[in-house]
Amino acid sequence: MKKHILSIDDEARICKLIDTVLTMEGYRVSTAATAEAARRIVQSDPPALIILDQQLEDTDGLTLAAEIRRTLPDVPVLLLTGMVFDTEVIEEIIGKNVSSYLPKTSKMGAICSEVHRLLGDTPPKT
Amino acid sequence: MKNNIVKVVSVAFGVMLLILGSVAVVAVTNIRRSIATSDWVNHTHAVMLETDAIVSSLHAGEASLRSYLLTADKRDQVAYRGSFTEMVEHLEVAKALTRQEPVPRSGILRIEELVGKRIELARDLVRTFELQGEDAARKKLQADAGSTLHGEIQLVAQKLAGEQQELLRQRDKASYLQAQATRWTVWSGLGLNVLLLFFLGWLISDDIAARRKAAAALEEANAILEQKVLERTAELVKANENLKKENLERQWSEEALEHQLYYSDLIINMIDDHIFVISKAINISRVNPAVVHTTGYDLAEIVGHPMSRILDIPELPAGDTTAQLRFDQAVKEGREIQGRRGRLLCKNGAAIPMYFNMVPLRDQNAVVGCVMTVHVRQKEQADAG
Repeated sequence: MKKHILSIDDEARICKLIDTVLTMEGYRVSTAATAEAARRIVQSDPPALIILDQQLEDTDGLTLAAEIRRTLPDVPVLLLTGMVFDTEVIEEIIGKNVSSYLPKTSKMGAICSEVHRLLGDTPPKT
Repeated sequence: MKNNIVKVVSVAFGVMLLILGSVAVVAVTNIRRSIATSDWVNHTHAVMLETDAIVSSLHAGEASLRSYLLTADKRDQVAYRGSFTEMVEHLEVAKALTRQEPVPRSGILRIEELVGKRIELARDLVRTFELQGEDAARKKLQADAGSTLHGEIQLVAQKLAGEQQELLRQRDKASYLQAQATRWTVWSGLGLNVLLLFFLGWLISDDIAARRKAAAALEEANAILEQKVLERTAELVKANENLKKENLERQWSEEALEHQLYYSDLIINMIDDHIFVISKAINISRVNPAVVHTTGYDLAEIVGHPMSRILDIPELPAGDTTAQLRFDQAVKEGREIQGRRGRLLCKNGAAIPMYFNMVPLRDQNAVVGCVMTVHVRQKEQADAG
């Protein structure tokens, strides 16, 4: 059975690209543009991994991550944002509510590798 | 190859049919000849029988005639007349049988001639017997010249029979040779056809073997080709996937950069301080909205124009102890300037006092210009203070 990944980003093109790439990698992907839509998906179809943007329309990623952690404490959260944080800040954030952090300028291959790592999967052979 | 086999098989079957036809023609011809020979043998036997019958009737007639002349018995008279009549009938039959054959016909005609004389002599004897009496007839009978005729008739008949026997032997020999020839023709034709059949069988089996070999080779080639097609298809699928991934990677990079640029611009544009990007030729390359707002110039009236149009930076007097560099020299050498004073020139003619910081703008290791942060409010506050 394919693992379920929830991608939360207010930019539709970013969501579409993540959906396409991770589907090719063999995952089932849901997308949400707002925190409210993300909450509904978390309740109805709990994901195995959440990919989260920091800037959202109705809240921010770190707040939403903290909220989701209360519902799904074991689900890893990957913060994928264009905002650049200091290393110390990131370590502190990861230690609390986020499992990993990548800037949006990262290569897609690096993002896929991080997804595989967080889910404990072996990357498909190319 | 295929056409050659078909041609050879067709020619071989044609030859076989020709041989069969020839054998049939020869056999039918020989059968007809055998039938003709058989008819001729029957005919010859008939001639010989009729000849023998002539001689036998002559003997019987002679005997009955002599009896009649001795006894005057009417039954003997009837008997010799009957015998002579039979002899004449046999003679007529023999003549009819030899109508088309000159040699035996001449013998029969000779017998007819002698028989005619013999019959005439018999009539003379009978007449003498009836008119002159028994003694006169006996005298004539004793002086019978018929015995000479009788012997001559027998000689001619024997000669004719001998000739017919010789012809029979010749026909028999010819018939034997014909039968032999027919036998050889039939067996030779059969043998040739069997050989041709064996040859065709070998040819067809060889052709089938060659075709099987070719089919196996074709099947193997098809399997190899199919394998190559599968491998090539797999390569193309993999290449397509890689291409798709590369394309997605490029789209992702573009989206990420656009996103990053958007947020960077958003942050810069929200800053209250006046930001200038100055080229190495000391022209303005870029400003933030605060500059447009404060000076009253349109963006097009600022960008691309000399810095001196908006920024008034007085030269330091010679021997200045602060040892600050000239602005253009600092830009060229890639040095920073901190807290230097000047004026911001507005479109309405106003000149707003300010101080600024300048940091060089580097592209890799080369200095391409500088970024100035102009602080107006702090200067006003400083003046007020």
